[in-house]
Amino acid sequence: MKKIIYIIAAAMVMGWNPANSQTQKGSVLIKNATVLTVTKGTLEDTDVLVENGIIKKIGKGLTSSNITTIDAKGKYLMPGIIDAHSHVALDAVNEGTAPITSEVRMADVIDPYDIGLYRALAGGVTVSHAMHGSANAIGGQNITLKHRYGSGNPDDLIMKDAARTIKFALGENPTRVHGRGNGIQPRSRMGVEAVIRNGFNEAIQYKKSWEDYNNALKVKGATPVPPKFSERLQTLSEILDGKIIIHCHSYRADEIYMLINVCREFGITNIVFSHVNEGFKVAPELAAYTMGASVFADWWAYKFEVYYSTAYNAAILTQNGVITSINSDSGELIRHLYHEAGKAQRYGELTDEQTLALITINPAKQLGIADKVGSIEEGKQADLVIFNDHPLSVYAIPQMTFVDGVKYFDINEDPNDMRLRVSATESIEPIFLKEHDHKCMHGVDFFFTNFGRSLFDHEH
Amino acid sequence: MNPKIQVFKHVLVLALFLSFQNIKAQSDPSGEKRVTGTIAFKNATITTSPGKTIPNSTVLIKNGLIEAIGTNITIPKEAQVILADSLFIYPGFIDGASSAGVGKFADPEKPANFNPANPPDEMAGITPWRNVIDVFDNKNNQINDWRKSGFTIAQLIPDGGMISGKTAVVVFGNQSSTNILSQNSALSVKFQGARGSSRVYPGTPLGVMAKFRDVYKNTELASRHSKLFASNSGLNRPEINKTYEALYPVVDKNIPVLFEVSDDIEIRRALSLQKENGFRLVLLGGSNFEKVINEIKSSNAQVLLSLKLPDDKVTKAKMEELSEEMQARTKRIQEAYQSQLKQASYLESAGIPFGFTSSGSKSGDTFKNLRLMVENGLSENAALAALTINTATILGIQKYAGTLEKGKLANMIILTAPLLDEETQIKHVVADGYIFDYEVKAKKNGNGDKNGNNGAMAIDGFWEYTSDTPAGSSSGTLEIKKEGDSFKGTITYDNPGGSGKASSEMKNITLSGSNLSFSFDVAAGGMSLVVNVSGEVNGDRLTGNLSLSEYGSFPMNATKKPKSF
Repeated sequence: MKKIIYIIAAAMVMGWNPANSQTQKGSVLIKNATVLTVTKGTLEDTDVLVENGIIKKIGKGLTSSNITTIDAKGKYLMPGIIDAHSHVALDAVNEGTAPITSEVRMADVIDPYDIGLYRALAGGVTVSHAMHGSANAIGGQNITLKHRYGSGNPDDLIMKDAARTIKFALGENPTRVHGRGNGIQPRSRMGVEAVIRNGFNEAIQYKKSWEDYNNALKVKGATPVPPKFSERLQTLSEILDGKIIIHCHSYRADEIYMLINVCREFGITNIVFSHVNEGFKVAPELAAYTMGASVFADWWAYKFEVYYSTAYNAAILTQNGVITSINSDSGELIRHLYHEAGKAQRYGELTDEQTLALITINPAKQLGIADKVGSIEEGKQADLVIFNDHPLSVYAIPQMTFVDGVKYFDINEDPNDMRLRVSATESIEPIFLKEHDHKCMHGVDFFFTNFGRSLFDHEH
Repeated sequence: MNPKIQVFKHVLVLALFLSFQNIKAQSDPSGEKRVTGTIAFKNATITTSPGKTIPNSTVLIKNGLIEAIGTNITIPKEAQVILADSLFIYPGFIDGASSAGVGKFADPEKPANFNPANPPDEMAGITPWRNVIDVFDNKNNQINDWRKSGFTIAQLIPDGGMISGKTAVVVFGNQSSTNILSQNSALSVKFQGARGSSRVYPGTPLGVMAKFRDVYKNTELASRHSKLFASNSGLNRPEINKTYEALYPVVDKNIPVLFEVSDDIEIRRALSLQKENGFRLVLLGGSNFEKVINEIKSSNAQVLLSLKLPDDKVTKAKMEELSEEMQARTKRIQEAYQSQLKQASYLESAGIPFGFTSSGSKSGDTFKNLRLMVENGLSENAALAALTINTATILGIQKYAGTLEKGKLANMIILTAPLLDEETQIKHVVADGYIFDYEVKAKKNGNGDKNGNNGAMAIDGFWEYTSDTPAGSSSGTLEIKKEGDSFKGTITYDNPGGSGKASSEMKNITLSGSNLSFSFDVAAGGMSLVVNVSGEVNGDRLTGNLSLSEYGSFPMNATKKPKSF
C-alpha cells in the first residue's frame, strides 16, 4: 500500500514539473564603450564582458575567446530600460467587472506574439511591468516581463525572479466603471477607500479561518470542515503579509495621502504610486512611507482629475528623496522612454545620472528587481542597450538591445516584417481602436482622451 | 376450405403486401421503416479498421449489430442483400464534438438584486448541471446533413458559457429512438466570459481563468466536506450547491474536461489549468499545434481537431501584380495557410492520437478538407483513425464503435470509390443498423467540362426559389448573369428586419459539373450572417440546401423562369 502511495506521489510531482522551457542566455564582449552604469558613474572607453547572461566583468582591455565581440567605440552603453507601468503583450487588460479582482493574474493572458515587444526592444526597453487596467479599486496580479521576443511560449517572457505585484486604482476610473456604470460601490472616492478597507478586513478574517482549520487538522482524529477557498482574499492577505508590492493608479494628492494612511494602518509598506500627477504636493509623505512614484514626463489633461499637473513633477519628487520612475503606459511612449526622461531633465535640471535612474534603477527598485537589473554592475543580469549617442540627447537612437546577453534588436539587422505569426487568410489584419475591451473607455470618455494614444494600449 | 386456413392466407397476403410496402419505402432517405433488421452487403471492399482492408468480402448486420464480416459468410434467408461489388465500406465516422440538433437553453431571468460583480452561476455562464440531451432535437435537419457526409455517431456539446454543461454521445440512427449512447460523458468548458454582457463577472479570459480555478478548488473542498459529514457527527451540514455537485465527476476524474481552444496560446492556458488541478483534458479545436507538441505530449491531453480549414485566399494570388511589400506579406500568409493545412499531419508525426470534430466546419466540406489534409502530409490511415477509432477511444466508446468487427454497432459508410478518391461518393450510410440511401451522381462528362461547352449548365437567368426553415417557408428570386468565365448575381429574400424583400449580392458563384454553389450576406439584428447555398442543377430545377453555419441547414428548391417585368 505504501509503495503505491509513493508511486502516486512521484507521478504527481512529475505532473507538477512545468515543461522546462530553457530561457536563452548569451555571452558577448562589448568593447570601448562609454559605459553609463547609472549606479557607479560613467566609465569612458570601457569593456563589458557578459557570460551566460550575467555581467561578468567591467574594465579595460578585457578579452575572451570564442564569444562575439562588439566594438562600441564612440557609442554609449546603458542598462536596459525598465518600464514600471505598461500593458504590452497582454490579451486582456481589465477584468473590469468587480471592484476587487485580486484573483486574476496577468500571467494568464500574456500574448507572446505581440509586436509591441519588438518595438519596445527597438526603444531599448528590456523589462516591462505588464499591468492590469485601472477599472477596479483592486485589480489583478501583474507580471514582470523580460522582452525575450521570438518565443511563442509566454513562460519564456516571465521574469521568474521578480517580486509579485498587484494593481490598485483610485479616483475616476473605478468610480465611473462600478459606481456610475453598474450602480454599485464605489460611487465616490470615499467608496474606493471603503472597498479597499473592506477587502483587507475580509482578508484578515479569511486568513484566520484557514489558520484555524489547519491548526485543527493537527489534532489527532479531528475532522474539521474546510473553509471556502478564495484566491481573491488569499491574495489580499498576502499583500498584508508584505509578499506583494502594490502599484496604485492615482492622480490626486488627497487620494494618494488617503491610501498612504490606509496602508500605514494595515502595516503595508510595499506600495508604489503610478501616474501621481499631484505627487509633488505630497512628496515628503511619498518619500517617507512608500517605494516611490512612477510618473509621466508631460502627459495630462485627458480627464478632469488630471488637470493639476506639471512637467517638474519627476524633478520635485526626486529632489524630495522619492524613488521616482518614468513609465510609458502605452505602446508608443515605450519606444522613447529615454526622451521622456530627457524631458524631466529639461525642466527640472536633474543630473544625467538622476535622469537615467528614472528609467533604469528606480523602476527596478519599484518592481523589487534592483538586485538583478537596472544598472551595469558585475554580477547583474546582462540587459543592455547600445546607443549611437548619449541616451539623453535628442539625437539618440538605440543600436542594439540585449536581454540576458542575447541580442534581440540590432538596427542594422532589422527586417521589415518582424511579426512572429500572421493570419492564414488576411493580408491586412484588422486594427481595433480599442484592442482591449477597456471599460474606462466607453462613450464620451473616449473624446476626453488623446486620440493618438488611444490607438495603442491605452490604460492610464 | 378450412376457414382457419383461409384466415391464414389473408394474413399471409397482408404480410406480403406490407413487406412489399416496406421494400418500396427502402429508398426513403429518412430511413424510417425497414424491411428487416438483417442486411448483407455482398462482395464489397471492406476496410474494417485503418490499414485493414478485405477485398470481395461481405458484412452481415443483424438488428443493429455487426453479425459477421469476411469472405465466406452464410447469408440468412431473411436478409436484405445489397450487392456491393464495386463499393467500398468503411466504419461510420464519429464526430468528437458536434452541435447538430443542439438547441439553446433558455436564458435565466435577471434577478431583481442583480450584482454584475457577483452574478449567480447561471448568469456567469457556469451551468455544469445542464445535460445537452435536454435540448437535443433528434429530428433536426443538421443530423441529416452530417450523416450524409458519413457521420454516424457524435458527441454533442451544450451551448453556453465558460462551463456550459455535460456532453452526450448519440448515434445518428432512426428518429423513433432517442439514439443516446451515453450521457454526461464530458464537461464542456471554454474561455468565454459571462453571457450577454462583458460587464458581468467573469468578463475576460483573465476572469475566466480565475473563476475556473475558484470553482474547481471549491468543488474539491465541498466534496471533502460532504464526505466528512457523511461519516462523522458533530459537523455543520454542507451547503448543497448544484454547481459543485455537478462537478464531482470531474474532480473525481470520472469524466474529462472538453476544453474548447482556438490557438496555441489558449492550448497553453488549458494545459496550465490542467497542470494546476489535475483533471482529465481533451482539447477541442485548436490551431498552431506545432508550437505546443511537447507540452501536449507531456500532459497526456487528448485532441479533437476541427475539420475546418481556413479559406484559401492566397495560394492563387497574382504575385507579379503586387508591390514588393505585399508580395512579402502574401508569402507569409501562404506559409501560414499551408501550416494550417498541416495541423493534422503535425499531430500524426508527433505521435499524438487525435480525433476529428465537425466543430466550426461545414458538412459539405468534409471529404474535400480530408483530401487537403492528406495532400499536406496526413497519412490515409491516420485520417481514417481520426474519423473513427481514435475518436471512439477519446469518447470511451471503442468497445462498441469505431471499427467494423463482429459484435460492434452497425455503423458504416458505403462509398463508390476509396475514401480519399476525388470521385468518391456516399451511396449508403448505415447508422445504428438502419440504412440511409443517397443518390449517386453519374460521373461527369469530362470532355464537356473541360471545353466549357457541352457539359456547362445554363444557369444564367431568373430563378424563383422556396426554402423551408423552422420559422416557416421563405421565398425569393435569384438573378444570375454570365460575365466572361464567371457569374454575377443577386438574391432576394424575406427581409429579416421587417416586411417585404431584401436583396444581396451573390458571392463566389461556382458551377462545378451540375453542382452550383454560392454565398450571400444577410444583415440581421445588427450582425452579418453568411448564408451558403449549394445544390444540383437539373435543367430548369435547382435542388439543394441553404445553410447558416450556426443555425442549421434548410432545403431549398428553385425553378428557372422566363423573366417578366
